[in-house]
Amino acid sequence: MIAEALRAFVYPGIAYMVALALLLEWLDRKIVARLQNRVGPYYAGPHGLLQPLADLIKLLAKEDVVPLGADRILFTLSPIAAFVVVTVAAAFVPLASTSGLVSAEGDAVAVLALITIYLLLVYTAGAASPSRYSQVGAVRAAHMLLGFEIPLMLSCLGVLASAGSFRLSELAARGSVRVFGLHAVGFAIFLIAAQAELERLPFDIPEAEQEIVSGWLVEYSSWRLALFRLARDIELLLLSGLAVTLFLGGPVGPSPPGAEPLLYPLYFIAKAALIVFLFSLVRASTARIRLDQFVTFCWRYLVPTSFAYFALAVLVA
Amino acid sequence: MGPQHPIHPEATLIKLKVEGEHVVDADIDASFVHRGIEKALEHKTYVQGLFLAERICGICNVAHTTCYTLNVEGLAGIEVPQRALWLRLIVEELARVSSHLLWLGLLAHVVGFESLFMLAFRDREVVLDLMEEIAGGRVTSGYNVIGGVRRDIDAATAYKIKSSLAKLKERVVKYRRLLEEDPIVRARTVGVGYLSPSEAKELLAVGPVARASGIAYDIRVNDPYLVHEEVPFNPVVYDTCDAWGRAMVRVGEILESIGMIVYALDHAPSGEIRARVPPVFRPPPGENVTRVEAPRGELLHYVRSDGSEKPYRYKVRTPTLANLPAAISMLKSRGDRVVHIADVPVIFGSIDPCICCTARVLVVNEKGAAKEFQLDELAAKRWAR
Repeated sequence: MIAEALRAFVYPGIAYMVALALLLEWLDRKIVARLQNRVGPYYAGPHGLLQPLADLIKLLAKEDVVPLGADRILFTLSPIAAFVVVTVAAAFVPLASTSGLVSAEGDAVAVLALITIYLLLVYTAGAASPSRYSQVGAVRAAHMLLGFEIPLMLSCLGVLASAGSFRLSELAARGSVRVFGLHAVGFAIFLIAAQAELERLPFDIPEAEQEIVSGWLVEYSSWRLALFRLARDIELLLLSGLAVTLFLGGPVGPSPPGAEPLLYPLYFIAKAALIVFLFSLVRASTARIRLDQFVTFCWRYLVPTSFAYFALAVLVA
Repeated sequence: MGPQHPIHPEATLIKLKVEGEHVVDADIDASFVHRGIEKALEHKTYVQGLFLAERICGICNVAHTTCYTLNVEGLAGIEVPQRALWLRLIVEELARVSSHLLWLGLLAHVVGFESLFMLAFRDREVVLDLMEEIAGGRVTSGYNVIGGVRRDIDAATAYKIKSSLAKLKERVVKYRRLLEEDPIVRARTVGVGYLSPSEAKELLAVGPVARASGIAYDIRVNDPYLVHEEVPFNPVVYDTCDAWGRAMVRVGEILESIGMIVYALDHAPSGEIRARVPPVFRPPPGENVTRVEAPRGELLHYVRSDGSEKPYRYKVRTPTLANLPAAISMLKSRGDRVVHIADVPVIFGSIDPCICCTARVLVVNEKGAAKEFQLDELAAKRWAR
């Protein structure tokens, strides 16, 4: 019983997930800062490792404000639901061993569905606040969803179809790397769509600080904002974890027999860090594109390519 | 958007009427910070007024002091040594480089290009350090004084300036290539904020905004005020009429300015740098107008003297004020030229707005109609000095 609880809440459960997510955020911030000739997180912990945690704690200490005219229930439920949804989704992803915290036949489909639900929560979060910036941001998020959702799904389904399994743990256990040949296309599509999902430059259109301040997030403060930020970090872990599982062979790597429980988490972190590094490179070298340009790009290039990729992947399999 | 908004640290209210993501109608309210500098100048002697004029604008402070000193010197008939004019030109162009680099950072910021923003501000440090070397102040330099300049530039400093600027030039050339080639920056700026040449003339756009609409209007060429006839340079003119053209004009001007500074350092005559002027002097009654090409465009100072030691009236027309009507016109969607909400910061940023220098008082009656004052009426309302 205690072992079960420890597994669910400490390792490789929620605490480990949060720690890993914060680590990835630190990595992202540090890499981008160095690329921009800045120092980045520095004071909290060695090399600023604890900065994301310190930021969260600082947010929790802030005054909790619900703006007048906000839909109180949605305003409170959206951050909680967003956090729960991404955490549950991340629980399916094999982070520390070849099996996720929970695992079932068809869990890959469940993860994809949860990702879509998270995006709907972004919309409700924006629509629940009375600010005009939030409204514009929420509508922008919904518009973007129409563009990148299909490519994201199809790029995952292509891999799943060619592997012949809808169970993430099974894919991870096989440990086969799929970034060459046909799957290079799927990998590229997944990375592009994942950045749109994470609202990172050049696709941070729903937040666009210089245009609509923080978009759908603008009215959130204190623990609500902290939950959204944490959900964003776990989402980064979730999507880089999905990329690792689907395309980079999961946490599997060369290991002397018996050392897997020690080495596999490290392999996973290294592979996820590689994905985050790619994301950081993109973030540091691009400007933000406009909503109409993004939707055009998706429907003109990304969606047809992803359909072609999916069809070929099914045919080859 | 505004008066508090991340795109602009100064209080500006951009009123937008939108349909979805499209801007239908727009207006700009820039009168949140009125500092009454023109009035304050009437209560200072001419020498004291210089320090106030310098603080009209932080970034174009050199343009303001150049304009103020030339204006007062013209009014009082003070002869300025030749070398001082050359030194003023060097510092003015250095300030232009600094201002345009800051603007490049602003452009990067409004299109969401964090890295370019950081790099542009890093490179601006080079110029600020040089400014400190020359004048003692990094931003507000306090270099120009009535009758000349405060400090000379010696050979060692000149060498340092040249070597630093050579490095800066390489980087700016890199940024120009980036503006020309980067697909996302181009997608965000090309065709955005269209201002046709005829409209630019009609709305009296000045500076880089006019020059990006194909109008070769540069006070340094049209009405040289320092030693611009003797320093070779080419005004940068683009005819793309959009935000991208304005960016290219400014980056081109950085390179031209660097060339001018190096040329002026090599060719400045030696001699006195300052004519001695008494701290309190009384220019003869009369008036004088001076125009200067500030980094943001044509800057105009007007002074009227009644023979006392203080100006009777001092009037400043900053370039941003001249460019605001053009900005409002650019913000409105017309025909198939749709303005998106995402374009608003780019358009507003493309005129290089500097609002605190621009704020004006509008006197309205109870029905809301604006009242105009003539100089005589203002004089009648003047309290005893």
